[in-house]
Amino acid sequence: MLISYKWLKQYVDLPDSLTPEELGLALTMSTVEVEGIEYQAKQFEHMVVGVIQKVRKHENADSLKVCDVDAGSEIVQIVCGGSNVREGMKVILGKIGARVKWHGEGELVELALTKIRGVESYGMICGADEVGLIEMFGKLEEKEIADLSKLKAKAGTPLAEALGLNDVVIEVDNKSINHRPDLWGHYGIAREVAAKYRKKWASYAVPEIKEGNEKKIKVTIENPADSMKYTAVMLDGVTIGPSPEKLQARLRAVGIRPINNIVDITNYVMCDLGQPMHAFDATKIKTTKSKIEIFVRRAKPGETLAALDGKERNLTEEMLVIADAEKPIALAGVIGGEYSQITDATTSIIFESAHFNAALIRKTTTKLGLRTDSSSRFEKSLDPNNCIYALKRAVELVLEMCPGARVVSTVAEKGKPVVFTGPIMVTKEFIDRKIGANIPTKECVRILENLGFNVSVIGKKDAETLKVGVPSWRGTKDITIPEDIIEEIARMYGYGNVETTLPMFTITPPERNEIKAVERKIRSALSTMLGFTETLNYSFVSPRLLQLLHLDVSDHLELANPIASDRPYLRRSLLPNILELVERNSHAHDEVKVYEIGKTYLKEEAGPRVSENGNDLLPRQDVILGIAYLKKGESTPFFTISQAIREIGVYTGVELVIEPVGASVGYIHPGRVAKVVTKMGDHVGDIFELHPRIAADFGFSDRVAYGDLNLRVLSEFATTNSSYKPLSLYPAVVRDVAFVVSATMFHQDIHAALVGAHPLITSVTLFDVFEGKNVGEGKKSMAYRITYQSPEKTLETAEIDEAHKAVEKILKEKFKAEIRV
Amino acid sequence: MIEKLESIKKEAVEAVKKVSSLAELEAVRERFFSRKTGTFTVLAKNMKGLSDTERKTAGQKINEVKLAIESELEHKKNDFEHSAWDAIGKNEAIDVTQPMFKGVSRGHTHPMSIVHTELEDLFTSMGFMLLDGPELESEHYNFDALNIPGNHPARDSQDTFFIKDHTEWVMRTHTSPVQIRAMQKYGAPLRAVVSGRCFRNESTDASHEHTFYQMEGIVIDKNITIANLIGVMKELLKGVLRKDVEVRLRPGYFPFVEPGFELDMKCLVCGGSGCGACKHSGWIETLPCGLVHPRVIEAGGLDPKVWSGFAFGLGSMRLCMQKYGIEDIRQLHGGNLSFLEQF
Repeated sequence: MLISYKWLKQYVDLPDSLTPEELGLALTMSTVEVEGIEYQAKQFEHMVVGVIQKVRKHENADSLKVCDVDAGSEIVQIVCGGSNVREGMKVILGKIGARVKWHGEGELVELALTKIRGVESYGMICGADEVGLIEMFGKLEEKEIADLSKLKAKAGTPLAEALGLNDVVIEVDNKSINHRPDLWGHYGIAREVAAKYRKKWASYAVPEIKEGNEKKIKVTIENPADSMKYTAVMLDGVTIGPSPEKLQARLRAVGIRPINNIVDITNYVMCDLGQPMHAFDATKIKTTKSKIEIFVRRAKPGETLAALDGKERNLTEEMLVIADAEKPIALAGVIGGEYSQITDATTSIIFESAHFNAALIRKTTTKLGLRTDSSSRFEKSLDPNNCIYALKRAVELVLEMCPGARVVSTVAEKGKPVVFTGPIMVTKEFIDRKIGANIPTKECVRILENLGFNVSVIGKKDAETLKVGVPSWRGTKDITIPEDIIEEIARMYGYGNVETTLPMFTITPPERNEIKAVERKIRSALSTMLGFTETLNYSFVSPRLLQLLHLDVSDHLELANPIASDRPYLRRSLLPNILELVERNSHAHDEVKVYEIGKTYLKEEAGPRVSENGNDLLPRQDVILGIAYLKKGESTPFFTISQAIREIGVYTGVELVIEPVGASVGYIHPGRVAKVVTKMGDHVGDIFELHPRIAADFGFSDRVAYGDLNLRVLSEFATTNSSYKPLSLYPAVVRDVAFVVSATMFHQDIHAALVGAHPLITSVTLFDVFEGKNVGEGKKSMAYRITYQSPEKTLETAEIDEAHKAVEKILKEKFKAEIRV
Repeated sequence: MIEKLESIKKEAVEAVKKVSSLAELEAVRERFFSRKTGTFTVLAKNMKGLSDTERKTAGQKINEVKLAIESELEHKKNDFEHSAWDAIGKNEAIDVTQPMFKGVSRGHTHPMSIVHTELEDLFTSMGFMLLDGPELESEHYNFDALNIPGNHPARDSQDTFFIKDHTEWVMRTHTSPVQIRAMQKYGAPLRAVVSGRCFRNESTDASHEHTFYQMEGIVIDKNITIANLIGVMKELLKGVLRKDVEVRLRPGYFPFVEPGFELDMKCLVCGGSGCGACKHSGWIETLPCGLVHPRVIEAGGLDPKVWSGFAFGLGSMRLCMQKYGIEDIRQLHGGNLSFLEQF
């Protein structure tokens, strides 16, 4: 929202020494966020009103003229191509140093002394578009220059002053006043400024309306909750025309384009008091001879309204309309109807100044995708008591501007608004305790009274209670509890004046978050040790990806309102988005090693509670690790993933077992899939290669392996190593054994058998596996390195031989192995 | 005999001087000390005809000469060995700047994780618990319990993702629901931070994301004041930025706090004189915060007459972007390895 400094000064007497910047800072620190301060005059520097004294032909160019221009203190020579330039004309003279836009286009250019076709020019006579005033002056043809002849200003008057464009505009961040319905007009801001600078603010003085008796306005409010107050009055003898220059300048300063006197008045009052108004052409509203009937009601099914913006809108029962006896004439609080709008021919008008329910207005604007200056104010829960003040001010302005105008109706005032007025009881002890500073009671009272609160102090010294009455403009939703009063006192006292202290805390160490601890260990294993890169993917997944994996979209939770429709489903697994990422990167990278830690959403499984009291549960949302690997030419990426998962087991202190299983779903390679379980058999995750058929559909030219771990489950088993094995004092002996077995045998089984084959065996390590013609169809050759050691003595060869025989025996008998020599 | 020994010594010294390799030196040693044919072995054999006293004198002299020659030989050997080490600098030199082939290259942690880890370390060192909460939340926790009533703009579908067929479920729009869950689970006093993923239904561009991250803290204790809040926030920023920063507190509005504040810190780029980074205000909006609203404390199952507290939020995504100078927010979920491998 834009605030005019001049306008503000109308209501509060600010010292001349105060700069707009200082005021802006004070507002930021105590009330609203000021985003910027703009000096209107700045863009008109080095521009003055010039009076053309003489126009001569240019010797070298037919289209150019050479002008002597009176710039007040001097006569300057300007070369000008203006089509309408003539002697005696008042023009915008851009002197050397002025910044203009050539032909209204491109960047601003600073004027310098130049020669145009051999003739010196000391500046420029400007077109309206060249100095950003096209809205004010308009322009009929390309080479037209702005004509200021109507102005009274003398030659040499700075342009900004001559046009009344010397205001300072303060830009307030709208978000910072969303909760303050009283700050959507200059009067409200002035009240805050006055409180800050300990000034009195002028009361909103408006003359009573002298009612007419030719017409009676009858207002019917269908549902008082929709509209707490509706006021209206009719005027006749109105002449539509431009509003006075001063009022236009005010509107321009706050970014509103002047239209005509009546529309300008409604806009002016809105920016003044914060109360939006509407003016109807009275002849377009169905009336009887002496009675005008206005209905504030919900729209009926099928009703439409052709609005002021030229668009026809379909209305629903959730929308509030203003209607005459026949049809809607305005969408209440949002936009007026085209049919009853003010036109140049309008002579009689009805002003509306009303209060509408904030939530209702908000719903309507959201539904229609239409926000207006009016609706954005009504959405804030405006003070219904302002309606009548606004109406009176508008009537006053019409009578001032249109000498022939007169009030012909009674003033309609419907509705008895109820607004919270307190009192709120606040003890001095509470104030001190909340702020952490001792602000004298007198100061608290002064602050509150300056803001318009009605305060009385009850109780003895040092045990006072403030009984705080709330003004109507703060009571609609903003101020309800003692904490709200604390804020009023503290912000005006100045947060910067509160001496900071640190709270007294017990020194208990925080409870550990086991899942986060596991996440950290995994990051350190994967990112630091194993060369994987962490990624973050969206929680939403596209139907295309799900279809590629032959997954059923109906198993997935779905957003009711996705952005576009590309990713409407909530992920049940990190797989689809990770695969997409791997595919995308596989073109530029020979090797893609990635992982993600994130949540998945399983609708059929029980998650956290919906509320503390009910039994309803949200979907389960466990933290999952997803990890993927692809390398150009790699035929078994599976092992990179299984090894990484084993390492994670080591890092997190969980013994993870990789258990062969069959493929449960179509996208998994049926011969390359395993379950990851704890020693006790708890299912922690899965590892598999993507089925080559699906991989091809995805666009992969290489094999991809994927694994996942449920970190909630993993964290339940996570341990930290807290023991060690004493070292043997005697030497270890290493023997290798190589053999051929059926290719269907699992290393895990062989390994477990060998470790238990003899008590002297301290470690068994697989160091070679191969298949091929030499080994035989359906067979594989394996080689293990076995370490023998005793904690008690140096082993004799015979003892080792015996132990090694046990190894060979088990291999032969249990695994039908053929020992290679 | 004596003369002969002197000439042997002279001959040996000359011979040692002339050698140019360890092998030649060994040959010289053999010539004089070989057990079978060495000069001294031959000499010893020739001593048989001497008288006892002659033999004794000769023996002493022989030993003296032997020691002298051996010492020459040792010196020369040392010289050779030293010069051999001198040469390895040249002979065995490698290009130390060359990378190792086929080494496992290190992996990379996502910059958001790096920032969250640093913040979490800081908070745990200040005694805060690390918490987590559901990303798919109920309207109750995401809005109602946080004093955000039904007609509040934040509940519009243009800000919030809703779930089809589950009208009371939303993708959480902030981490604040964890405030309520934490109070209900742990009671008071409470010191906790939560970091995590949040969602807003807005289209993505260089500075907006529908999926983003927040870090949020809550403190519940007895007699928590505005003065405490400012004090803790100052310490916190000092910890995050590792330097003293000037801060200012100004009013800000969030439904779940009362009063609510925006805490700004003096711009670190320009030092407060105004620059592009601080939109020429000299201050950077850093921490929204406030005293926890009594209705929120109540929703957490605690008595607001007994317990009070403050809460604060940190836009960890923006912090991450500032830390690394990332100008386009879309990079963070873009999944481009060439980007991620820089961290």
